[in-house]
Amino acid sequence: MQKSVFTSSFRNRIKPFLYLLPALFFLFIFTYYPILRAVYISLFHWSTDYPQKVFNGLQNYVAIVQEPLFWKVTKNTFLYSISTIFLSMTLGLVLAIQVNKRIKLGGFFKVSLFYPTLIPMAAAGLIWLWIYAPIYGLLDNFLRNLGLPNMGLLLRADTALWCVVLVAIWKHVGYYMILFLAGLQNIPAELLDVATLEGANSWKKFRSVTFPLLSSYTFFVFIINIVDSLQSIDLIYIMTQGKPAHATNLIVYYIYQQAFRFWNMGMGSTLTTILTLFLLCCVVAIFSTIGRRVYYEV
Amino acid sequence: MPGGFRKINVLSYSILVPFSILMLIPLLLLLSTAFKSLPELMNVDFNWIPKKIILSNFSKAMAVAPFGRYYLNTIIVVVMILSIQVVTISLAAYAFSRLRFRGRDALLILFLVQLMIPPQSIVVPNYHTITSLKLLNTKIAIGVVYFASAYGTFLMRQAFKAIPMEMEDSVKMDGGGGLTAIVHVFLPLAKPSLIAFSLVSISYHWNEFFWPLIITDTVRARTLTVGLAMLTQATESSPEWTLTMAATLIVVFPLLFAFVLFQRRFIQSFMYSGLKG
Repeated sequence: MQKSVFTSSFRNRIKPFLYLLPALFFLFIFTYYPILRAVYISLFHWSTDYPQKVFNGLQNYVAIVQEPLFWKVTKNTFLYSISTIFLSMTLGLVLAIQVNKRIKLGGFFKVSLFYPTLIPMAAAGLIWLWIYAPIYGLLDNFLRNLGLPNMGLLLRADTALWCVVLVAIWKHVGYYMILFLAGLQNIPAELLDVATLEGANSWKKFRSVTFPLLSSYTFFVFIINIVDSLQSIDLIYIMTQGKPAHATNLIVYYIYQQAFRFWNMGMGSTLTTILTLFLLCCVVAIFSTIGRRVYYEV
Repeated sequence: MPGGFRKINVLSYSILVPFSILMLIPLLLLLSTAFKSLPELMNVDFNWIPKKIILSNFSKAMAVAPFGRYYLNTIIVVVMILSIQVVTISLAAYAFSRLRFRGRDALLILFLVQLMIPPQSIVVPNYHTITSLKLLNTKIAIGVVYFASAYGTFLMRQAFKAIPMEMEDSVKMDGGGGLTAIVHVFLPLAKPSLIAFSLVSISYHWNEFFWPLIITDTVRARTLTVGLAMLTQATESSPEWTLTMAATLIVVFPLLFAFVLFQRRFIQSFMYSGLKG
């Protein structure tokens, strides 16, 4: 008797974990364990010069902060991420507000703004590489028709990164528009009607009704944005390989170079650890500030 | 008032019309180039509509790279990922939405970590894991890192929470357990979320590039996007753009075609994916 009560309560306690087990199993092997493993490997020399791992403490970290290229890559990554996030979110919101009005051709606009979401980043990179191609490419053709010289904008150190930013915005803006649209359609019409009755103009309505109610969506779009900006690796790999003069070398591509071009796994792991730490800090920062206020559901 | 209404619409159109055209240019260029002959392309005067529409670029692309094989690989990978994801996320979502247990919130946050640490950022350690599991160059390796989905778990959890308790109780009355409830009550009632998740998952993995690139180097396992990149990098000098664009069209066509057919479904699914985030 005693025993069966024990087993049933034991079963009840263990049951939830059985449901979680399949998901947790894969999360452990391919998300948590790799994070820890990267930290571990980052403490070793492990490259073509050191085919056997040699413990070196924090030497990889010392080496990386003394490497000017690391700081250049960091700066590029911030420039790239902040400008794509800011521009594509702003544009996405503006477009969502326009598409949300009941206007003719609304479906056409949605389709033509959204379709890049369904094109692989690698394919997008190829199409834009062709647009940017010197002389025969669409852009140089266009500039020539305007009487401007051929620029080869993707080949110049001062413009190459912005060429890639443009592709990223083209690729993502439709998705953010759709996410904001979901938010806009969730705003009760009565609230806006009340504001109109109170004599609010459209800017005032946007600022004091729409925008605050959109905050949870803005937050969500922001998180997706950070993650999406890591996907830039596809574009960089296809379009520039970090060239010219590392002007388009971004952190994930830099990791790829260290690990799979130079086969320096120690350095690749060090960079992975730095990136992971940064992302985890972002999670904590977001949740302790805006997250708590906005992300009421979790 | 009618005047004001019209003014707002003029503003909308003056933003939307030029912007839509700009957004469509890459697609139009893709179509235009894929059906053009190389000599016409190399003519310095650019024209959107080819003087002579040709199909030989496609047969050439199919001859240079085994796109049939890449299609098959991609479909296998996408279906494998989605079917296993549906199992893992439904089970986890059921636990998170219906069962009470110690550490539930902590575990939920642990799941959240996966949202912020996407696979692209941990390719190096995952590459080592795949190597030591002897899975290099397999389709399973492409999929296995995605078998658990925090995003899908959250989406399904929200949907499950909205289902009334009584529905589940009726299953329990008949002596069914949690699994029976998931299969016969939760999944059917959460169908919109399930469809939304499926479409997002399929699009994401059809388009995925970097991870398959790292862990495959044979035709046997390569997916479409990787095959496409290999094709263009085979020619070292400047790519043959007519061929490249034809190959690109081969890769992007299925999803774009499906999108044109079911635009509403797609857009609603992606909208929904944020709504329940």
